[in-house]
Amino acid sequence: MKKHHTAAHITIVIVILYLLTPLLFTATYSVFEKWTGLLPEGFTLKHYVELLTEEDFMLSLGRTVLICIIPILLTILLVLLALFVVTIYFPRLEKYVQILCMIPYTIQGVILSVSILSLYAGSGTLLDNRLVMLIGAYCIIILPHIYQGIRNSMHAVNMPMLLEAAEMLGCSKLHGFFRVIVPNIISGITVSSLLAVGIIFGDYVLIRNIAGTSFKNVQIYLFLEMKSSSTKASAVFVIIMVTTFLITALVLFLKSRDSKGKLQKGKG
Amino acid sequence: MKNNRKYLYLLVLLPFLVVVFFFEVLPLLMIVFNSFIPDAGGSFTLENYVTVFSKPLYTKAILNSIKISCISSAIGIVIAFFGAKAAHEATGKFSTAFMTVLNMVSNFAGVPLAFAYMIMLGNSGVLLELGRTIGLEALANYELYTTHGLTMIYVYFQIPLSTLLLIPAFEGIRREWQESSLLLGAGPMKFWTQVGVPVLLPSILGTISVLFANALAAYATAYALLMNNYALLPINISGMFVGDVTIRKGLGGALSVVMMILMVIMILITNGLTKKLQKGVRKA
Repeated sequence: MKKHHTAAHITIVIVILYLLTPLLFTATYSVFEKWTGLLPEGFTLKHYVELLTEEDFMLSLGRTVLICIIPILLTILLVLLALFVVTIYFPRLEKYVQILCMIPYTIQGVILSVSILSLYAGSGTLLDNRLVMLIGAYCIIILPHIYQGIRNSMHAVNMPMLLEAAEMLGCSKLHGFFRVIVPNIISGITVSSLLAVGIIFGDYVLIRNIAGTSFKNVQIYLFLEMKSSSTKASAVFVIIMVTTFLITALVLFLKSRDSKGKLQKGKG
Repeated sequence: MKNNRKYLYLLVLLPFLVVVFFFEVLPLLMIVFNSFIPDAGGSFTLENYVTVFSKPLYTKAILNSIKISCISSAIGIVIAFFGAKAAHEATGKFSTAFMTVLNMVSNFAGVPLAFAYMIMLGNSGVLLELGRTIGLEALANYELYTTHGLTMIYVYFQIPLSTLLLIPAFEGIRREWQESSLLLGAGPMKFWTQVGVPVLLPSILGTISVLFANALAAYATAYALLMNNYALLPINISGMFVGDVTIRKGLGGALSVVMMILMVIMILITNGLTKKLQKGVRKA
């Protein structure tokens, strides 16, 4: 049995090393003047200082945050309302809402972006605005994740019973939904919105195809920078990866806190 | 009266339906519809599909996409199998560390990933310099900007995804089975080929179809590495709609439909195999 463990541990160490190598190389690259020989030369933090004092970069960070928040809030609201109506009043429609929410899983970014773009670009309608198109596309891309997160947590709290209790105490259903159900499932919503932040933060195809360079977020910034200066780009890379890791760490933390709190009831 | 109020609630559903209709249903329907309309104008034909399957540029894109997706999924699933097996057998700390790393790098793809590989293995990459210094020819002459190089980057992002998907399946392998097969004289090798893998096969097949779709739709990694100089479905599709050349909705639509069909075919194949297997299990 002990030999068993050793083999498993060796496999794990090899895979972890393989996965971390590109990250470590690039992170090291970002804190040196140059790395053309065997070893990097001249430790420096100037790439980071340069970046963090550059207006262009800070603006692209701000745009990234903005384009994460708006679609996520919008999608959460839409899905909450839809699931409220469907579970309480029209259970027969639930199946169709589910199908609509799961379709984006299979179409993915490339096809979604070009189909939205070709439909509305130059159409002269209200939707002929790159930012509106982008927000709409992001709503659709994160829809399956938000939907599953909210639906799973709704099932976990026994919504009909809670609503009935709220009604008996003189609350309307809609009021009860937002005052009783939503606070109860807020941690589930948080986890799925963080996953959505990860998706939008890492997206390149939608933003490039729909907005082009007119809405420069950090991914576009990295793309343009790596064509000109690889040392500066590596600092952008590190900032992107650190942010991504922080988001993942937060998700893992919230999930483990959740499963500790409750009995482990199937997978969320 | 009460019934009327109930239908009033359908209005609450409306915002959801509006967004889904305008950004999901209508665009998809239109792209399928456009694929049957020639770009030069005219009525319903299959002309675009004929072009897609007869012009070398497009057939090459389709073949490259299939090739890269299949190879990267195959390598990914093998590594994932051993990785998930190790996570299943490992003790607490190792398995926690492994899960953390897998989750962390599962979002590491696209432009950042391509960039990291360029730093490491690009033409003046750090590892190439190392290869030159120590005289390791294979490393010194590594070619990142080729089909092979691209496939290797795809393999990277397939590993965390597939391992994370497979790990839960290993919980279905009970230790007693391993012990009893050992008592009956089967070594670990025999146990895994005769019992373990067949039990896991539905999850393995499901994971393969996710991996295939994931690789097929990956755009950012390939574009960051090779720009438009490479025939690959997602790159060619984007090229039809974005950029300085004239927009070709019909041809782009046909290519998009081909890509969607490829995904559906993969799902059908893996589902069909799973069903066939389950039937066999029931008979036995």
